[in-house]
Amino acid sequence: MTSMLRLAWRNIFRNPRRTGIVVTAVAVGIAGTLLSMAIFYGMMQQMVENAIQTDLGHLQIHARGWDADPEIGLLLEDGGRAEIAALAGAPAVQAFAPRIRGEGLVTSPSASVGVRVLGVDPPREQMLSTVAGSLVEGSYLDAPRRALLGEGLARRLAVEIGDKIVISAQDLSGDMTGEAVRVGGIFRTPLSALDRGTLFLSLEEAGNLFGLGSGVSEIVVLGGERAEIPALQAQLLAALPEREVRRWDELQPLLRYMLDTMDQVAWGLYLTIFIAMSFGIANVLLMAIFERIREIGILLAVGLSRSRLVFMVVSESILVTLVGLGVGFGLAGLCLVALSGGIDLSAFSEGLGAYGMGTRIVPTLGVGDLAIPTVVAVITALLASAWPALRAVRLHPAEAVRHD
Amino acid sequence: MAILEAIGVGKVYETRGVETQALHGVDLAVEEGEFAALAGPSGSGKTTLLNLLGALDAPSSGEVCLDGDKLSGLGAAALSELRLRKLGFVFQAYNLIPVFSAAENIEFVMQLQGVSAAERRERAEALLAEVELEGLGDKRPLEMSGGQQQRVAVARALASRPRVILADEPTANLDSKTATRLLDLMVGLNANHGTTFLFSSHDPLVLERARRRIWLRDGGIDRIEEGVRA
Repeated sequence: MTSMLRLAWRNIFRNPRRTGIVVTAVAVGIAGTLLSMAIFYGMMQQMVENAIQTDLGHLQIHARGWDADPEIGLLLEDGGRAEIAALAGAPAVQAFAPRIRGEGLVTSPSASVGVRVLGVDPPREQMLSTVAGSLVEGSYLDAPRRALLGEGLARRLAVEIGDKIVISAQDLSGDMTGEAVRVGGIFRTPLSALDRGTLFLSLEEAGNLFGLGSGVSEIVVLGGERAEIPALQAQLLAALPEREVRRWDELQPLLRYMLDTMDQVAWGLYLTIFIAMSFGIANVLLMAIFERIREIGILLAVGLSRSRLVFMVVSESILVTLVGLGVGFGLAGLCLVALSGGIDLSAFSEGLGAYGMGTRIVPTLGVGDLAIPTVVAVITALLASAWPALRAVRLHPAEAVRHD
Repeated sequence: MAILEAIGVGKVYETRGVETQALHGVDLAVEEGEFAALAGPSGSGKTTLLNLLGALDAPSSGEVCLDGDKLSGLGAAALSELRLRKLGFVFQAYNLIPVFSAAENIEFVMQLQGVSAAERRERAEALLAEVELEGLGDKRPLEMSGGQQQRVAVARALASRPRVILADEPTANLDSKTATRLLDLMVGLNANHGTTFLFSSHDPLVLERARRRIWLRDGGIDRIEEGVRA
């Protein structure tokens, strides 16, 4: 088959202009699609990373029953000492922080807003959350009776740094309780839901507010690579059989669903583009077959089998498509390098924030992401070559050798 | 024993419902080592008979035998294999593969036969020398003259070491000097190697070299002239 591949390879360069048109069409199509997918992947990855780094962490440890009903009474006793001890035995853990998670009503002189109250251990929290690095005003819970608010929440409450606010909540025994604190810091993250509806207190003050004593709601864990997290989860589950240890994508299944959907979207997109291209490829191949009828007749006359003839036509289709694919990959690569600093989408910050995305999207593409277009391209090339191949094998050698 | 045989062969072409009898009841035997020519005016059935004998077409009636084996009933794959192993073709319009060099054109047939690369190269060089084209193996067909291309075509036909070489009007596109040189080459191959040649031609240069001339007229054998050339 080497001879047929060599012949197919040389045949595709017999008419450079025609091959150039097909290669250009495939290359531009594939580069455009790859770039679009890279931007989508970049958005998705950013959404996931933002969720992990501001709120979810890679893993969360809760008391059993939290997943079914996350009520304030489900606690990890003694500040999560047993759980922290288990984390110390897991080298993959990069950082962890205990949290208290509850609901409350925050009131300013201008407004009252229902919020999620997060009690955090500031030094530990800063090691796993980017909220501390997202301050736009004030400081990060560095003084007693200070609260940290998102920019959106501060706007809703019409408060500034130093203003007094009152947090009302239901404590562990079911009684209403309240704390007056001052706005100590205001942050802005890519997650508008976090900015508009979350209030941070120190772990101690949140514990006092909800009457939890030394109990905490959860321990948030940050590991290394995302691919290693399931193994870490299994290790922690084995060490803490009485606890719930859930991954980020179990805590927010929508994120996993969106990531998985991206692959399906990619298949659909590539299939659509390549099916459209297949008509062009088939047309070019057909023209090439019509131009070479006599030559094909000669090949048949000298003993070329019809299966080898089909192999030659199919190879021409696949080779021209793969050349286009290679050029397309190159083009997409150049564009990705040019856009490696990110695409500024600050004009759409409001809308992007609702989906947990930042305003600067860095297109992301791994070598593995090239597999789908490659597979689709080869399938398309095979389909596109079917008609020309059929036309070629139907040629009658005695008539073909005399064709003008 | 005849290497190629036509027994009561007829061929009818149908175009838009109109039947044309191109050949009828042709009986012909080509012996091993022959240097024969099918002669006759245009439309007499020379090329049709050559195509049938070369397994490029199937007769409407009668039987074609190659090396004693009947061709009827053989599938496309078996016929391809048979053409690859036992027959060589030289056509009027050179018909080399333009994207291959002269040597590659010659090697191609051997490659289809599964001959090793080293042996292919060696045999291709020897064949190029035999057709007096030493040093031109790397030339593409379009870089060669018509006569040179036709000599490459002869070398290609010889490359598969066929039992018979069928040549359809091989000199039609050549000037008389080039045609003479090509035909003398073929005569030499026939004399030195015993290669069987069957031509279809009305070129006097071909016919005067043929040891047997089979004259066709209106789709049948009109007469056969034996022993024309010593």
